[in-house]
Amino acid sequence: MNSLAIVAPFLPVISALIIFIFLRASRRSAARLSVFMTFLTFLLSLILLGQYIAVGHARVETIGTAWGSVWLDPLSLIMWTFVCGISLLVHMYSVRYMVEEPRYTQFFALLDIMTAVILFMVSAADLVTLLVSWFLVGVILYFLLGHDTNRPAAGRYAFWTQITYRAGDIPLWLAAFVLIKTYHSISLPVIFAQIQNDPHLEAFWGLTIPELVAFLLAFAAFARSAQFMLHGWLPYTMDGPTPVSALMHAGIVNAGGFLFNRFAPVFEHASEALHFAFIIGLITAIVGSAMMLIQNDVKRSLGYSTMGQMGFMVMECGVGAFPLAIFHLIAHGFFKASLFLGAGNVIGDARRHDGVPPDSIYVSIVERRPTKPSRLPWLAAAALTILVPVVVLGLSHFFVSSSLLQQQGVIILLFFGWVTGAQALFATHKMTQTNPWRLMGGILGSFVLVVIGYTLISHYFGSFLYPHGASMQLYAAASINAVYFDIMAIFLALLFVGGWALTFFADSTGWWERADKGRWRGIYLAMYALLSRELYVNDLYARFTQIILAFSRRLNIWLRWC
Amino acid sequence: MDIFLWFIAGALLPWFPMSWIFNRLVASAPGYWAQALAILVLPQLGLLLIVQSGAWSALPLSFLVILRALALFTAILYAFRAASTRDVQIWARLMTTSGLSLTWLLLSQDVQIHSIQIFAVVWSIPGALMLIWAGCLQQKMGGAYLGLTGGLATVLPRLSVLITLTALAATATPIFPNFFLLLHAMTLLSLPWVPLLLLVLLLWGWAVGRFLQDLLFGTYQGEPLTDLSGGATWLGGLALGTFAVVGIFWGSVWLIH
Repeated sequence: MNSLAIVAPFLPVISALIIFIFLRASRRSAARLSVFMTFLTFLLSLILLGQYIAVGHARVETIGTAWGSVWLDPLSLIMWTFVCGISLLVHMYSVRYMVEEPRYTQFFALLDIMTAVILFMVSAADLVTLLVSWFLVGVILYFLLGHDTNRPAAGRYAFWTQITYRAGDIPLWLAAFVLIKTYHSISLPVIFAQIQNDPHLEAFWGLTIPELVAFLLAFAAFARSAQFMLHGWLPYTMDGPTPVSALMHAGIVNAGGFLFNRFAPVFEHASEALHFAFIIGLITAIVGSAMMLIQNDVKRSLGYSTMGQMGFMVMECGVGAFPLAIFHLIAHGFFKASLFLGAGNVIGDARRHDGVPPDSIYVSIVERRPTKPSRLPWLAAAALTILVPVVVLGLSHFFVSSSLLQQQGVIILLFFGWVTGAQALFATHKMTQTNPWRLMGGILGSFVLVVIGYTLISHYFGSFLYPHGASMQLYAAASINAVYFDIMAIFLALLFVGGWALTFFADSTGWWERADKGRWRGIYLAMYALLSRELYVNDLYARFTQIILAFSRRLNIWLRWC
Repeated sequence: MDIFLWFIAGALLPWFPMSWIFNRLVASAPGYWAQALAILVLPQLGLLLIVQSGAWSALPLSFLVILRALALFTAILYAFRAASTRDVQIWARLMTTSGLSLTWLLLSQDVQIHSIQIFAVVWSIPGALMLIWAGCLQQKMGGAYLGLTGGLATVLPRLSVLITLTALAATATPIFPNFFLLLHAMTLLSLPWVPLLLLVLLLWGWAVGRFLQDLLFGTYQGEPLTDLSGGATWLGGLALGTFAVVGIFWGSVWLIH
């Protein structure tokens, strides 16, 4: 079984080499080989995961002499299975989707290399393997995104991605340097054991080594997971082929959440870094979701949705819910992959059905439906919307593990669950239906099922990923002063309840229509303009780059190109 | 006398402002094969000069810090200048100067001379290869200037692949040996110097990104071109493949030492 673990990440490499050397002219054979090898890798990953579940013993397998080791712990094995699953879907989809594209065989070889590199990245047991694979992901992604070389836009946006990834590589290099210099080892298990022995080793400026490293790692994760101010590249990667968009949004962009989990022993001793990650994640989630709402392009909208989800994932890490972040990235990976791969069908449907709202007279006479469908009374709907999510979320957590409700991180996530659930119910309330109670009942039933499933899975998933109770230490590390937290929780609860009640009231009394004509219209338009220009972040970077390049050219002229 | 030797060495194994002479020397070599040879040989001559003359062993400690700062400044300056360069020959020279100047970081450490020689060769090889590819491009197009015609990946796919791989090797991309040498150099430095070295890495990333954008993307609008022959492509691929294999296996050796 030991050799299996070493073979698994090499299978896609072998496939890529065979395609590059022997099958460049044989399109069908190349695609078949690539899909078969990915399927084999997926199968091996499943076997290794099953073996771990049966035996429950993590181990490190070494390939090279100084670097090139893989760590077969629950995190690696889960990620292997997830990455291979997504990659297999993307491979199968690409067989027909890419068939009319040039460099078909090269595309499959690059997909294979990307799969192999990600497998090494998520299982790296030493810092050099991690750096090599982390770095290579950015390089290979550049060529995958720029597959269609006839389109200058593809090159431009591939470059944006590459340079943002490179900017994120720098803090990871620095973190690796600090760890190697301090602990005189490149082995991650050895470094983590030494951190546990002495977590308060001082670096400088009052920071301990784990705190300094945690901040650097957080920055690396931010660039890879498109956090605010490092997000400009993400929505524009749609210029790459759709299967690459799916692979990127479902897999590669999740690397930030993985990095947090891999270095969980460092973050256990770095509360400030976790708080910082929470703030950045929160801003990203809000900005990403807001920008998603104003897009009129399906794929761009999905891109901003990914940004919002990544913000939420980083925020989960910030509150100490590390296993939940992994569960989130897997769930998000699968649903985002299916959305991307199905985006073409949605666009096709949109072309067939223009989406113009039906005429009320036509609906009444021809379709024989009532012209004035009813809604629930606003007070009943508000009560249901506000109370039901709290009760469902609270009870489900209480029955699964009551100790979880003592953790501040869980309370914060419950708040988000509450707001999300309430938003879903509010959206249902706004839908005009002939039988509103039946619709609301259906939504409530679904909500209960989702929450119970989510709570159960995340709890047992946490126990699987961190069998020695490290997840509780992470919650503790992310906690703040209890008094401040209680005040904040009460304030937020009142704010949310008041906000929702006001929303329902305003919606039922037609306040929005009246406000739309007044001075609020100007504010609304200003906000819309700001968001539609993506907060001018990309414009700022573009201007900054122009100035820097002009200076570089001027220097070259002064020095006569020598 | 020693100072004079250091200045001559700076013109062969570049540090700014003597790097200007190094670039002039390489550019003035007749033909691209001679330029490639110059970029391989000159740094080795510079190394031999300071080691054989004994100037290296007599180096005062205060000068070490100046040398290190100068080396990093040169690497940053040339990487920054490469970002706005579209001529492949000039890009190759600037990037090689940037990489070669890092050799001075090792000189200030307790490192064996043959390791330093290998370090310099590893930075010279991608530069030499790039100058050869630039020469081929010049023969085919009348100039090795990117961005005018666009889309060379479509009309010169073989040459484009070789140029792309060489550019990646020159900018310390794994699995090429330059990556491991950069890592090795980083571990020899103290923390305050490391951010400057990483700034070089960032600038290389920027330079190579812009270079590949001009090389690969767009619709070709020039005269019909003939690509490299299959044999020449295999030969170039073999050279780069061997270079990468050396990186994988010797990377471990450098890391251990």
